[in-house]
Amino acid sequence: MIEMFPANHKTVFVLDHTPYFGISCESPIEFEFLKGRTPSFIPMAPISKTLWTLSVESAIEYCRIVWDLFPTGKLVRFFASDTVAHILNTWSTTQQSLSHIMNGCALIGVPPAPPPLRATPPPDYTVLHGLRAAIEGLCEPTEYQVDKCKVDGGQVINRCRVICITSARDNESMNRLEEIFLTVLNQQNKIAIGNENLLPINHCHLVIINTFPINIESSVNNHSPRHLSPLLTTEVHSIKAPQIPTKLSSLILEHYDLASTTVTGIPMKEEQNASSSANYDVEIFHASSTHTSILKGNPLDSAAIRTIKEGLEYETVTLKWCTPRGVTGNELQNCTAMHRITPVDVNSRPSLCLINFLLNGRSVMLEMPRKSGGKITSHLLAAHGGEIFIHTLCTARSVLEDPPSISEGCGGRVTDYRIPDFGLLIKQTTLLPVKPGKIAGDQLRPLDRVRERLNRLTKYWPLTISSTLIFNLKQYIDPLPGLVVKEKLTEDQVFVCKKIIFNLIALESKMEPLHPQNVGQRMKGQKREEQYKAMWNELETFLKNNLHSENHKLIHQCLLECHKFNFETDKSGEKVDLDEALTQLESVEEVSQRVSVIRATTDSPLSPPPLANITPSFSRQNSYKHTTSGNSQKSLYEIFANVPQKGKSRPEFAGRQGDNLVTKLYGNLKMEDRGPRTDTAMEVS
Amino acid sequence: MPTVILLDVSLSMSRPVQLSDGTETTRKQLAINGIEAFLDHLSVHSKLEFIALMAFSSLYEERCPFTRDYNVIKSELKHIDDYDKTSIETALHGVSQMVLGEWGNNTACQIVLVTDGSTGIGSMSLKESLATITQRNNGLTAFPLPFPFPATLHVVCIAGANEPNIIKSKPLYQKLIDLTGYEGSIHIPDNLQSEANITTMLQKLADDMYTSFRGVLKCGHLESKILLSPAPVAFTKVTDFNNKTYNISDLIEVRGFISVPDVGSPMTISRHLILPASGTQKQDSNPNDIDLTDDNSAVEDASTPSFCVLLHGALKVENMAALVTVGENWFGFVYSWADSKKKSNLMMTILTPGSDVIPWLGDLNDLGTGDMFSVDMVGSFPIKPSEKRSYSQNGVVWIRQAGLQSDIQKILRHARKLPDKTQQFYKELNRLRKAAISLGFQELLTGLSCIFEQECMQLPGNAHPDCALQLHHAADLLRKSHNRDIKFTLTPLQTNYTSS
Repeated sequence: MIEMFPANHKTVFVLDHTPYFGISCESPIEFEFLKGRTPSFIPMAPISKTLWTLSVESAIEYCRIVWDLFPTGKLVRFFASDTVAHILNTWSTTQQSLSHIMNGCALIGVPPAPPPLRATPPPDYTVLHGLRAAIEGLCEPTEYQVDKCKVDGGQVINRCRVICITSARDNESMNRLEEIFLTVLNQQNKIAIGNENLLPINHCHLVIINTFPINIESSVNNHSPRHLSPLLTTEVHSIKAPQIPTKLSSLILEHYDLASTTVTGIPMKEEQNASSSANYDVEIFHASSTHTSILKGNPLDSAAIRTIKEGLEYETVTLKWCTPRGVTGNELQNCTAMHRITPVDVNSRPSLCLINFLLNGRSVMLEMPRKSGGKITSHLLAAHGGEIFIHTLCTARSVLEDPPSISEGCGGRVTDYRIPDFGLLIKQTTLLPVKPGKIAGDQLRPLDRVRERLNRLTKYWPLTISSTLIFNLKQYIDPLPGLVVKEKLTEDQVFVCKKIIFNLIALESKMEPLHPQNVGQRMKGQKREEQYKAMWNELETFLKNNLHSENHKLIHQCLLECHKFNFETDKSGEKVDLDEALTQLESVEEVSQRVSVIRATTDSPLSPPPLANITPSFSRQNSYKHTTSGNSQKSLYEIFANVPQKGKSRPEFAGRQGDNLVTKLYGNLKMEDRGPRTDTAMEVS
Repeated sequence: MPTVILLDVSLSMSRPVQLSDGTETTRKQLAINGIEAFLDHLSVHSKLEFIALMAFSSLYEERCPFTRDYNVIKSELKHIDDYDKTSIETALHGVSQMVLGEWGNNTACQIVLVTDGSTGIGSMSLKESLATITQRNNGLTAFPLPFPFPATLHVVCIAGANEPNIIKSKPLYQKLIDLTGYEGSIHIPDNLQSEANITTMLQKLADDMYTSFRGVLKCGHLESKILLSPAPVAFTKVTDFNNKTYNISDLIEVRGFISVPDVGSPMTISRHLILPASGTQKQDSNPNDIDLTDDNSAVEDASTPSFCVLLHGALKVENMAALVTVGENWFGFVYSWADSKKKSNLMMTILTPGSDVIPWLGDLNDLGTGDMFSVDMVGSFPIKPSEKRSYSQNGVVWIRQAGLQSDIQKILRHARKLPDKTQQFYKELNRLRKAAISLGFQELLTGLSCIFEQECMQLPGNAHPDCALQLHHAADLLRKSHNRDIKFTLTPLQTNYTSS
């Protein structure tokens, strides 16, 4: 389990800037490109880094890795020490960057020249100034610690780490250094307890790197972590200067719980010969939990992929590059962990090649070989917004093995869902990032405003095509549905909506049938009047559910004024037709009885025997909903008595009716779906 | 949730028990009967659960790998012998290995430890194990708890409630449960003399262990009753400064939509199938029974429209994922998922709690639709961090000699193509010089001026005269100590050749 308040939240580098660090490490850099030239020239003086250069660049590399992997929350400060402590940055997040540190280093420059032997008084060159300042710095709270104290009133445990790169004469002076550090730590804690702006140090981890040129043997010994006091743990690493980077690489893995992966088999074009390609390896660092799932699995498999590279002190896990097929970003992978990565050798050609490949938007799967044969895709490398991540994929068996398909469950047999319409709703509520901070004064966060919109858009939203009419009449009522669900309507929009209502009224008065789009068999058999009625009723329901503003009410009002609704006008029962009567029956009778009643009243004597069931259409139920209140006081008999002869005898052949020149054959087909076609055909013939 | 039944087969389990009806049996036999009842209960109510059987004494043995065929386990139970003493720590190591090997570290599991209240003797007894838990640093294997995967531990004791053993070991079991970090349970029969008592106890345990998640998936005013399979568990998020446990709400609310490529496979803590539940589902029918075709009302349910099915269809067609809230400031994604057999499903992944868990999506509470805000306030995915990472900064790293060598080579390559590459030559030179000053690498600057002078002398006869002039000029500037200021920039020498 992750421990709270880790020491790696606050790290201070104390770099020895005394004259000794100005000496060369005596490890000359080779310049291959100068060899093989005409040998007549005087050979160049060998170039070596100084102890100072090596410590600075190693410490900066340490920070590069930390800040690449943890852009926030892991703070590092730099202190250089000669006759005084030079403080290169503060805990402020604005000063936690490589460029800030590099500029600071440029300002303090190289270590001063050694003082003349007889200088009086001799200048006080020591790393202790830096260590003392470091302890003071560690008592200063970071922004995160301040927030934690303020917001939660919580207790903050101030754990921290000091990494000191210096050079001591012998073990005795190293011990003295540690003791002085502890004394100062205790003193500083006493000061901090009395000062509300300071935090006492609960624990400090002091890592001392004792370094020296390669031609010198040091008499300082390594020592593993030692608890000098409950407050202080110290360790000493005594190494030759060119080894500092390697040492810090292995320490950083420990300090930040990181691990190394070597991506092997990366195909890369040769610089000289672009037609051939060779395979390269790139080593990356990332949080160690990336490997948890593969290393905790089969011990044989994990043993096979763990190796220690030559000259290094830590293990790396080798995973194979898997040339991407198709676009991997287009589906959601089952990713159980995700961490930022950084290449270990950031400027090498193979690293740059891999990085550019990823930053250009492609992703790479990594494979792990298995002892039992075969391999398994265990990780995904991908860049998101210029940052590269390693995703750990689930390699284990899934408990969701062999799940039932959604079509086997509830609602699975329904085939006429309004999927394209929901697609529109999705587009209207597709999320994008909104710059925070600029929304001051607005009570709601952007995501909460989207919730309001979703609520509005779904006030009246039938799930299936067969349960709605108006949404199938887009050519008549668009853009009204889109406008009415808006939060506010302009005068113009109100006008547009009203116009749509007027148009519909006009169509109805012209007896134009409505042609619903994408409708199955069921809706086609509707009569025109019934169709209009269903349409008006549904439109009214829709508008009534969307009274978001005064202007919305105007449209609803307009509809109520223009169209006479049954629930207000039908009390007299004048306009009751057969279908409504049938609807009445439905409400009264049992299903089985209903069928026989309908057959008994509508079928001609020659009709075939009744069918087992009749599917009631939505429009019927809908009109029923609105009409019952008005008609309830009448008895069924009255309704029947008032119905014109229509259903009881054969309809008059339309051709004989006069006014219409164009006559529709089989007019009854447009009526309810009462059964097989032969049924109606017989009636007409 | 996969379950491991961990059966104690130490010698103490073979102690005889006098039943109230006069017959004699052993604790082991009682345990086996209980486990059978447990499995019978599952085969009726939760037949998709994976169960494994492991026996242990001082060693452990996997008797049945994870299976949905409970009869295999039942027949294996008939062939269990008696072994030596109890070592729970060893057994828990075995469980850990077994679960990790099969399910990885991300699947929540349950462990039913069936034992008799005696916790072993000697160094591997539970008491000793727990006493030395903090002293495992050097070389010793760490204590197996907490498991590297989410796990609930249930301890079933085939022992009388008043046995002295139980009184001593109960706190130890509780300590084990506490160590798992999840809420487990301890079960001790009221009456050891009744076989029925033990079977009911285990049936009840099965009932409690497999309570499923029932909730509502809501999108504005559209909603559907749902089941989640497997049931989600509470999550404890530990960061450097906070430690908070989050509980799943029974309302899963759609808050908006993001295209699947934009979502970009973030880290999830669990995945769950969303199964539309019928509104009229009987209380007694077990919700884990996701094989809905068995249900009599299935045909009717299947033809009643469900919002889940609509959502699934639209998400699939549009290749979108729905951002949902699963708790307070806790998010997930709902999307269409198809396994290899082309069966499509509605899947929900649950993210780590908090609104800022996916760096490239930003704070999830700050997501809005494009038309709600002015153009300058709305960005696009992925969100870029304010600072570039080192690998996209072209920084200077000379830790390996090759890094320094290639930087110098690059400058020399430009030098040979002067005056065409004058700008690039000085740009690279300044970059190198700036880094050398920061790192206090003065020797490099003098060394480089030497190299330039050598280059000058080796220039071929047909070289442009500017070559020599610029190289001399650069070498001079590098040598002058007052130019060791980081703010100073080396500029090209103005020559007749360049100006013309």
